[in-house]
Amino acid sequence: MSRDEGEAGAGPLESLSGLDRLLEHRVRLAVCVLLSRSDQVSFSRLLVLTGETNGNLGANLRRLEEAGYIAVKKEFADRRPVSWYRLTRQGRSALKGHIAALDALLHPPAGDRAHSDGERAQG
Amino acid sequence: MNEVKDLTGDLRYVREVVQRSERRPAPRFIYILWALLCLVGFALIDLAPRQVGLFWTIAAPVGFVLSALFGWRHSVVTGAYSGSEGLQYMLHWLGTLVAVFLVWLLVASGDLSHPGLGRAILLVLALGYYLWGLHQVRAMVWVGILLALAYVALGFLGGPVWTITGVVVAVSLVAAAFMGGPGEQG
Repeated sequence: MSRDEGEAGAGPLESLSGLDRLLEHRVRLAVCVLLSRSDQVSFSRLLVLTGETNGNLGANLRRLEEAGYIAVKKEFADRRPVSWYRLTRQGRSALKGHIAALDALLHPPAGDRAHSDGERAQG
Repeated sequence: MNEVKDLTGDLRYVREVVQRSERRPAPRFIYILWALLCLVGFALIDLAPRQVGLFWTIAAPVGFVLSALFGWRHSVVTGAYSGSEGLQYMLHWLGTLVAVFLVWLLVASGDLSHPGLGRAILLVLALGYYLWGLHQVRAMVWVGILLALAYVALGFLGGPVWTITGVVVAVSLVAAAFMGGPGEQG
């Protein structure tokens, strides 16, 4: 929700660091991280874990599904419909790249940090 | 700078979600099943030693299959399925059971006395629970410590050592079932 609007155009962070714009949204990032830790997670479990509303979570899952990052399988358990989500290979690769970019951004190498500190001092 | 702040906040949210996902209820049925099997199987050594082989020949594979079924059912109920987690679970306890069997071989080779076998098995189980607690379900650490204490206490007690061992293991398993979380209701 916080930076959904930022998807309209690449911000300075995206252009510099190669962050995945779709995964910049915290709910979508959390969903992908959760799915990377399990083979499959149900919609109701994701709802409980993320603390989002039904509609908001559903919309975010649809975005990820449309991008091919996650896949959904619908089945019945105890005569109730259950939607199981899993991370696709494409989603796993995107998540890996996004996390690497985040890591580089938040923990830059010592040389880069000194360089940006210098720039800040000049500015 | 603000964007970095946003990122930090988002990462905090993701960490909280992941931590929440780690607080999964314990598969109670599996613990209770093995509590019953251990109670009966261990007590039989004192009460009806001739039936022990037959009991474990049937109980061990049936227990394993039922555990897999309960585990799958638990995944459906809790809404998260992880094959790698299930495999890790299985390999840990299979390794512990193999260690128990290898301890048994010490008796066959005459290197360990029969009364000492119960305590040695208890020690292997204590280590199994302790390590499972360290790496997976924290409540199991206490079960491991309880089993280790029982191992020490049994050195000073006489009587039906196997039955006492069975009771301690069963109580530990039931305690673990209820210490791990709200548990499976269905």
